[in-house]
Amino acid sequence: MAKNLISIKNLDVKYITNKKPIHAVKNVSFDIKKGEIFGLVGESGCGKSTVVQSIIRTLNPPAIITNGYIKYDNKDILSLSVSEVRKLRWSQISIVMQSALNALNPVLTIKEQIIDVFITHKGMSKFEAVEKSKVLLELVDINNDRLESYAHELSGGMRQRVVLAIALALTPPLIIMDEPTTALDVIIEREILLKILELRKSLNFTILFITHDLNLLLEFADKIGVMKEGELIEVGITEKIKLGGQKEYTKKLISSIPSASGKRGVEFFPEPNLSIKTGAPMLEMKNINKEYLIGGFFNKKTLHAVKDFSLRIFKGEIIGLVGESGSGKSTIAQLITRLETQTSGSILLNGTDLKRNRSKNVSLGYRKKVQMIFQDPFGSLNNIHNVYHHLSRPIIRHNIVPKRKLEKYIYKLLESVELSPGKLFAKKFPHEMSGGERQRVAIARALSVKPDLVIADEPTSMLDVSIRMDILRILAKLRNEHNVAILFITHDLASARYLADRIIVLQNGKKIEQGISEDLIQSPKELYTKQLIAAASPGWLKNAILEQ
Amino acid sequence: MSNSIRYLTRRLGFYSIAAWAALTLNFFIPRLMPGDPAAIIFARFRGKLTPEAMVALRETFGLTDGPLLIQYFSYIKSMFKGDLGVSIAYFPEPVANIISTGLLWTIFLAGTSLVISFIIGTLLGAIISWKRGGRLDSFLPPFLAFIGAFPYFWLAMLSLYIFGFKLEWFPLRHAYSDDVTVGLNIPFIFSSIYHAILPATTMVLVSLGGWMLSMRNTMITTLGSDYITLARAKGLSSWIVMLKYAARNAILPNFTGFGMALGFVLSGALLTEIIFSYPGQGYLLLQAVRSQDFPLMQGLFMTITLAVLAANWFVDIAILFLDPRTRK
Amino acid sequence: MNKNSILKRWGRGIIKNKKASFGIYFVSSLIGLSIFGPLFTLDPTAFLGTPLSPPSLEHFFGTNGQGQDVLSQTIAGARQTLLVAFTTGFFVVLVGAFIGGAAGYYGGKIDDFLSLIINVFLVMPGLPLMVILASWLPPGPLTLAGVLILTGWAWNARVIRSQMMSLKGRDFVLAAIISGESNTRIIFVEIMPRMLSLLASSFIGASIYAIGAQVGLEFLGLGDVSTVSWGTNLYWASNDLALLTGSWWTFVPTGLSIALISFSLTLINFGIDEVTNPRLISERNWKKQLPDNTLNNGVTPVVRKNG
Repeated sequence: MAKNLISIKNLDVKYITNKKPIHAVKNVSFDIKKGEIFGLVGESGCGKSTVVQSIIRTLNPPAIITNGYIKYDNKDILSLSVSEVRKLRWSQISIVMQSALNALNPVLTIKEQIIDVFITHKGMSKFEAVEKSKVLLELVDINNDRLESYAHELSGGMRQRVVLAIALALTPPLIIMDEPTTALDVIIEREILLKILELRKSLNFTILFITHDLNLLLEFADKIGVMKEGELIEVGITEKIKLGGQKEYTKKLISSIPSASGKRGVEFFPEPNLSIKTGAPMLEMKNINKEYLIGGFFNKKTLHAVKDFSLRIFKGEIIGLVGESGSGKSTIAQLITRLETQTSGSILLNGTDLKRNRSKNVSLGYRKKVQMIFQDPFGSLNNIHNVYHHLSRPIIRHNIVPKRKLEKYIYKLLESVELSPGKLFAKKFPHEMSGGERQRVAIARALSVKPDLVIADEPTSMLDVSIRMDILRILAKLRNEHNVAILFITHDLASARYLADRIIVLQNGKKIEQGISEDLIQSPKELYTKQLIAAASPGWLKNAILEQ
Repeated sequence: MSNSIRYLTRRLGFYSIAAWAALTLNFFIPRLMPGDPAAIIFARFRGKLTPEAMVALRETFGLTDGPLLIQYFSYIKSMFKGDLGVSIAYFPEPVANIISTGLLWTIFLAGTSLVISFIIGTLLGAIISWKRGGRLDSFLPPFLAFIGAFPYFWLAMLSLYIFGFKLEWFPLRHAYSDDVTVGLNIPFIFSSIYHAILPATTMVLVSLGGWMLSMRNTMITTLGSDYITLARAKGLSSWIVMLKYAARNAILPNFTGFGMALGFVLSGALLTEIIFSYPGQGYLLLQAVRSQDFPLMQGLFMTITLAVLAANWFVDIAILFLDPRTRK
Repeated sequence: MNKNSILKRWGRGIIKNKKASFGIYFVSSLIGLSIFGPLFTLDPTAFLGTPLSPPSLEHFFGTNGQGQDVLSQTIAGARQTLLVAFTTGFFVVLVGAFIGGAAGYYGGKIDDFLSLIINVFLVMPGLPLMVILASWLPPGPLTLAGVLILTGWAWNARVIRSQMMSLKGRDFVLAAIISGESNTRIIFVEIMPRMLSLLASSFIGASIYAIGAQVGLEFLGLGDVSTVSWGTNLYWASNDLALLTGSWWTFVPTGLSIALISFSLTLINFGIDEVTNPRLISERNWKKQLPDNTLNNGVTPVVRKNG
């Protein structure tokens, strides 16, 4: 194989704070060969973005690179002067950033953001630069009349293509891609990845690909580096990593990827509860529609977020509601918790119709019966109050236990979500706990009032992959202990498969398909469900290339 | 483009409501005060007003014996005709005439110094945020905050005392010297500028810090955003990143802030006029207070409000050009 | 509450912060002086010496046009001025929090209506409106405070509204709603404490505004000119033609006092800003780690032991 294009040795990066500096990158070394796709994987906050931004030295204050070398083309990037770094940027190494909406300047046209690369680096005239930009856009299948558009006038997929086009402007040998598809939905993600691989064939660049999604890297990377808490745990060729690699952490990452196809592994989860439900459902949604008025005072548009949606939840049942962002799944959560009011249709709790009243005067009785766990465990706890406050308030409000038994009840509750000793955790503030611990507090809060139904809105998507399974396992255990129904909302079909008894697939506010979890996974009927399953199964990218 | 027109019409709608609110306040304030306004005025001016003046005064306030609603409508009708009533101090001169003599001077002095101070302050804010932690950045904010801590008019007094009275570099009062003829001629223009330097400088100095700090804050937020990182990664020069990418965005909230703060900052400018006996709205306001000339005061409130609203509308137009998202 | 609560950490941060503690020191000594000072000075309203005599051993700051002692007047003037300023500051924040908070929390039609009122009051020029109000009302501190509150609340209401809007959509508020908390409790126990630093700096900002505007109004002659306050001191200085007679001592001490207290209050606000945005301090420490003259030039600095 070819020689090293870039080689990083003993890289150390620190963020200065008002107390002790944060050691964000610790002694990281790896090489990337010419023509390779090198994947760097890790949880958010593991330092992977810091590593790649050190390469082009775009880390903002208070970051300092405190040790190491980055050898590129026989030169140490860390020894270059400011003007040499500027020359190196983009002509040698370019970057595609995560969110194209944030990476594009909202007040400049696409044209203005492309031509300055040509003018600065190639000394082109404005006319030449515009002509080059037109060619560039066509390379990523965008009509060149879009040059005059602003970022907000383009769709998400188009924006990501534009950002990709800008990165290709000077056809640099190395392109860094920092979570380039994370914000996109499955189908667009596939399109963009295929485009990247196709362009790589014709333009011959090397890719350093960063993501939190190991599953994705297994599809197309040649080599994978695994990062954890600032350290590079291991580097290996993809085939080896796929088999579990050498380190414990890598093994855990690999084994915690649930698959949406093949046989259901049973090691973690109790069997689903498939007993036939009879009698009246606990909660029923009948022909629900929800429309939002968006836009300004004069140019109002209607957004039809939920269309003719019906749902029956029985006591003690776990239902998986699966859909991508914008599918209306969170709106359904807000309708059930009465944070929003439906435009038409009715919601019945234990057979009684809930009048379409405003969220701010919903009866206490309803609040006691329906609880919710949010996606972001930091956001859903108030950082000025401690755990005790968060748990005691709902218990007092709903008179669950007498005052003298309150403390004991709270400690027991904490221990039931595996936060022991409860007495210690009750005193903690949100910022003194890890993400997983905070999410357990949120679960304890939802259960504290002994509800009939808990809505869990993406309860694991903000957590580290390695602890996601723990949270799902706790939810499954609590269902069995308390006979509480759970509406599990997720974008991830595979995790719904493991936790839920039944799955409902949602797209653009409409119910596409529903069925017993395993039946739906094994024999989906609708095209969209098949696409979702394919996207969450190993080998999907290769299949897609073959399809093409 | 029709969206732009819609946006401007909507803003215009808001300004009409604001203007109507000012009118209504003007109408009701005298009526809501304890006692009968006519009686209050009559008591305060006992013996000083001729019977004709008294009648004119009652008419100004629409204090007829008719019902309140009728009074209100006739008041609004006369306002629309530009009839602001008759001044007490300058009886029988109409208030509108008196105000129009001072309006241009205020627009000239306060207008230019506000614009100059906004431009310099914004530029300084952009520069010090760019060179954060530098010498300029550690010196300017506390220094200008200290200057800004003085009342406008007090600093005006001090500068008048030092540069006008002691050093005699600048004239002590008025907007132009007595020996020039008013009109578009070189001596008059030079004399006006010469007279404006000292008051304008104090106004600029006092308000500079505020604009600078708010630009610095929005710049710092902007500099942390992804599109700045991308612009830097593209290898562009510092100047292009700072002006084309960062300042272009950071200035938008400051523009809106400029419009909103105008009414507040103008107050300081009016007090400065008083110190320099500058023949603008501020000076008239002082005359009105001294002689308890209520019609003049209310007329001033109306015209200054309208001027601020008009300025805000120009700010809206500027934002329309600068921010493509408003044109959507 | 244990020592790890955010509020306690901020409290400790404020005390440790140089700017804030300097500001707090000056403001509290000036408040102390305004309360107890008049016990030790001469009668500020008495005729004590030749009018307009310059500073001397007998009168440290000289005498004014009425032959009154300027030092005593400056100290005595602080009392009314500061009382009006802090009262105004308090009520401006209170009104702003109620109206802005309600607009932000309830949203919808309530917000449309309240925002309209807030914006109308914002664009209306303050001084002429104050002048009209003050000239119809009987002169005195109560009128001053009332007029200042009426013309000053809108800015705070706007700031608090936008903060409220960003907080009320947060998950912790939704979680509180779902757990059945009442609106009052959500606003006052869950949201308001999160706004504490904003409310504190709004109070300080409003007090600074109230000092300036109040002195301006009194200077125009709209205060009770028979009482002693910083504004009336300047009114008399101007009335007695201090400028034309060159008697600078009649207006300089009062002006400096006003600047000193406003500046000290501003410093407290700078301090609050630094404590609640740890990034500002981080960046200062960052700069200290670098060799001289390195500034943020868009290229991450490298500081290696071996060069």
